[in-house]
Amino acid sequence: MRVAYVRARGERIERISVIASHDVVIVGAGLAGMRAAVEAARGGVDVAVVTKLHPVRSHSGAAEGGINVALGNVSDDSTEGHTYDTVKGSDYLADQDASRIMCEAAVDDILELENMGCFFSRLPNGRIAQRPFGAAGRPRTAFAADITGHVLLHVMYEQLLKHGVKVYEEFFAIDLVLDDNGECIGVSSWDIKDGGIKTVLGNATVICTGGMGRMYHGTTNAFACTGDGMAMAFRAGAPLKDMEFMQFHPTTLKANGVLITEGCRGEGGVLRNADGERFMKNYAPNAMELASRDVVSRAEWTEIMSGRGVDGCVLLDLTHLGADHINRALPGSRELALDYAGVDAIDEPIPVRPGAHYQMGGVHTDNWGMTPLPGLWASGEAACVSVHGANRLGGNSLLEAVVFGRRSGEHAARTVQGKARPDAAAAAASISKTEAKVAGLLSATGPRADELRESLAETMYANCGVFRTGDSMTEARDTIATLRKTYDEGVLVQDKGSNFNNDLTYAIEVGYLLEMGDVLTRCALEREESRGGHTRLDFVERDDEKWLVHSLTTRTIDDAKINVGTHPVTITDYQPAIRTY
Amino acid sequence: MLVKLKIWRQTPTADGAFARELVDFEVDTFEEATLLDVLDSIKHHQDGTLAYRKSCRMAICGSCGMRMDGRAVLACKTPMKELAAKGRVPVIAPMGNMPVLRDLVTDMTDFWQKVRAMTPWLERAHHGDAPADGREHLVSPEEQQKITKETMCIMCGCCVSECNSMEADPSFLGPAALAKGYRFVGDVRDKRTRERLEQYNGPHGVWDCTRCYFCNERCPKGVDPRDAIAKLGAAMFDHGITSDRGAKHAQVFVDSTKGQGPVPGSFGIPVPGSEILYNGHLSETALIPLTLGIPTSLTPNWAGMGVKLGRKGKVPPPWHGALHRVKGLDEVRRLWRVLEGKESAERRGGDLEEPAKPLPPNIAQGVLTQFTPEQIFERTGAVVSSDITAGGGKLPPDQVDLAGYYGAETVVQRFVAGGGLDKDHGLSGPAPTDYAAQQAAQIDAHGSRPGATTSKDA
Repeated sequence: MRVAYVRARGERIERISVIASHDVVIVGAGLAGMRAAVEAARGGVDVAVVTKLHPVRSHSGAAEGGINVALGNVSDDSTEGHTYDTVKGSDYLADQDASRIMCEAAVDDILELENMGCFFSRLPNGRIAQRPFGAAGRPRTAFAADITGHVLLHVMYEQLLKHGVKVYEEFFAIDLVLDDNGECIGVSSWDIKDGGIKTVLGNATVICTGGMGRMYHGTTNAFACTGDGMAMAFRAGAPLKDMEFMQFHPTTLKANGVLITEGCRGEGGVLRNADGERFMKNYAPNAMELASRDVVSRAEWTEIMSGRGVDGCVLLDLTHLGADHINRALPGSRELALDYAGVDAIDEPIPVRPGAHYQMGGVHTDNWGMTPLPGLWASGEAACVSVHGANRLGGNSLLEAVVFGRRSGEHAARTVQGKARPDAAAAAASISKTEAKVAGLLSATGPRADELRESLAETMYANCGVFRTGDSMTEARDTIATLRKTYDEGVLVQDKGSNFNNDLTYAIEVGYLLEMGDVLTRCALEREESRGGHTRLDFVERDDEKWLVHSLTTRTIDDAKINVGTHPVTITDYQPAIRTY
Repeated sequence: MLVKLKIWRQTPTADGAFARELVDFEVDTFEEATLLDVLDSIKHHQDGTLAYRKSCRMAICGSCGMRMDGRAVLACKTPMKELAAKGRVPVIAPMGNMPVLRDLVTDMTDFWQKVRAMTPWLERAHHGDAPADGREHLVSPEEQQKITKETMCIMCGCCVSECNSMEADPSFLGPAALAKGYRFVGDVRDKRTRERLEQYNGPHGVWDCTRCYFCNERCPKGVDPRDAIAKLGAAMFDHGITSDRGAKHAQVFVDSTKGQGPVPGSFGIPVPGSEILYNGHLSETALIPLTLGIPTSLTPNWAGMGVKLGRKGKVPPPWHGALHRVKGLDEVRRLWRVLEGKESAERRGGDLEEPAKPLPPNIAQGVLTQFTPEQIFERTGAVVSSDITAGGGKLPPDQVDLAGYYGAETVVQRFVAGGGLDKDHGLSGPAPTDYAAQQAAQIDAHGSRPGATTSKDA
């Protein structure tokens, strides 16, 4: 480790822990992060990845069902059709230019993944197989049984090794480093293995830290999905877009929120209520179980609330598919249901309910992943380009990670090529703040951080869930305000050590979650309509006159004041229409 | 339910050693709780200093490998209900064969280095080998199936933790890395098979596995790493890479039971008298000289060991084979002939008596874009009928055997038959209006977004 000594303000000599300076620094090593890193490496610049896990531990690996691409291997399909379905699925809030870029790039990007070695399920003629997914007009979802994310994540890690990209493993990112001009020049992290603040500098920093589902009870997200990158970017002055749109996945297990893939319905699984009725016929008579996720989640919630649920769930029935089909196409789902619900899908239906799954919003970026904060890019779930608008289609998140990961890596590399690397001295002030923050956390007393997260998760699921009202969200906002105040006064980190102190890192994560929960709730309160994943019982209609706009949330750096504004939607080819399935 | 457990707490001390202590815990938790849920409860409500890794809690990220009662498990995939009901108090410890960093956290640096040593990415012979039509490689579902299990590997390290061979030789590549290796050797798209097999051969490689099967037994994902290692060994025989003692040992072992000597010894010269040694039973006495070569086996170490083994009655005397012919040796030999004949028949795609079957036309058309008919025959023994023209074109969807692939009456077929959800894709909908232009005019105030087609995009 190289320790730099710099002359800071005044004559005091400060010892700061800048360990390296690269051209491009990627924060997060999921599918988007690694794709960005590989593309930046191909661009001929020096690139490094900072991750709080090991790359293959990232949550992209938990994606099950597949990745959308208009290959036309099992039907005549077109990128136009894919774009249209994406825009319609978004409840017309997606930027249509961005959606088009994604759907058109999909073909080459997915074929490239295959050429890299990705293990896709195949048709008898040797081509990549495709299955139907919710709200898609054609069977368009390429897949690897029901472990698509796992397969993509590992193939991208293979490419990362092949390109010799430097990875700082188990580095827990705490703050973006800003220089005196307010430009982002890297990231400061807590070294999980050895302790201490370690700073990695770069002319371009790319946030690829994924989602924030851990603010909800009943979430499909991993423990690691705590909104780190969004919160860091927000605190550094980058705006967040469309944060009120949390997608609820219709089929998650009650005990721990584990996801049962949409592929189950794509392969022919049906949803039933307590009476054994296929209730989707009352909500989406054409698409039935393969309607858009927001539609199915609302239908399930309505059934459960109307007393037609089974122990707070509805039933996902695969039994008619037969053991062979289930074992070949959905082995992972069968295993998960066995492990966490004690149900063998071959013999009996799986109890499922909606769970927080995917944050459609994120750090506001342009079509190349560039944010308004100089030196900062973002891609994947942590970013909002926006291609998903108010509701993401199943199979489009892996696609977004691949396409916009590649684009942000390429653009960041191109932008910083030939630029002198940032100097350690420019980072001194920023690093001192981070060190003070960690010292404060280690010495504070108060409740345990998990108590705060539990309260947050409870209020979010109850008051800011599938259905929302002004009253419920106000309650959530007030609860969060109290929780944030408590957090700021101090939480108790029992572990004071420097070796694998995940008590400390968890306390920092809870801080991220509280702030992002606050943002989500405020945005949701502002939006007085129902659109996609945001359904209000007090404003049941979509209101294109007033609300065909993105929300854009900013925070003042000094007094941390949150301000919710708007940003126009780009509409090119498809005029908003009534959305039925 | 009440769960009791003991956890090995291990904290590094200033002098680099570890303070070790077995600590009792009791947790009141919910019925479906896993070991990971119990650890979380301890961490949040009893002792925040307990260190362990976790992330997905659904057995896909591979973070939470550890040992429960001496067996490697994923904490998130280990329900506690039965143990609690029986009143058992399991002991939780970090994985084996890896240095401990703290409590239940191990250092996996060596694990990842071994994975890296496998050249773990798809390699084609040269760049131009990508499919000529710029699309995907053509891989039949059957070919793809060959590496399904290895693809499931989540790199949790449970197999390595339990590997007996690695305990004796820490440099052994180990089950996880070798399974990763087979993932590429078994992949029809990879064109470095021979180089890979040579790379995985030799000291610390494929043949150093002791076949204890603990890795298969403890793998939480059904990867069966030992099977992958066996498949690598078989592939080495197919490629004539048999220089390793392990390979020779396996060959002699098989020959010995065949009862069909003579067999080649050192430098390919038939071992004199080996025919008598092979009388249909396993001749342990012959294993050593035939594996090592006669000169090496006569060196004091090996010869001395042989004498010792003989004295203790661990191996039969050399003349045993000559004097004792196995009952029904002719039947043994016939069985071997059938077995070998059947094998080759299978490779040629049919019964011995029948002529080789032609490939189904759709597969043949696909495969022909990558191989010549001669290569296909050489690899598979299958004949490509002459009326299929080579070319990169895919079959029209209606000629793809979807029923065979997806099973009858699936949603896919309903989709295809019905032309999809929305037949016109909405493309006949309203034309773009000035609305889009109005929107575009309003934006880009901060120079960084949404202009529909900005110069950055060009």
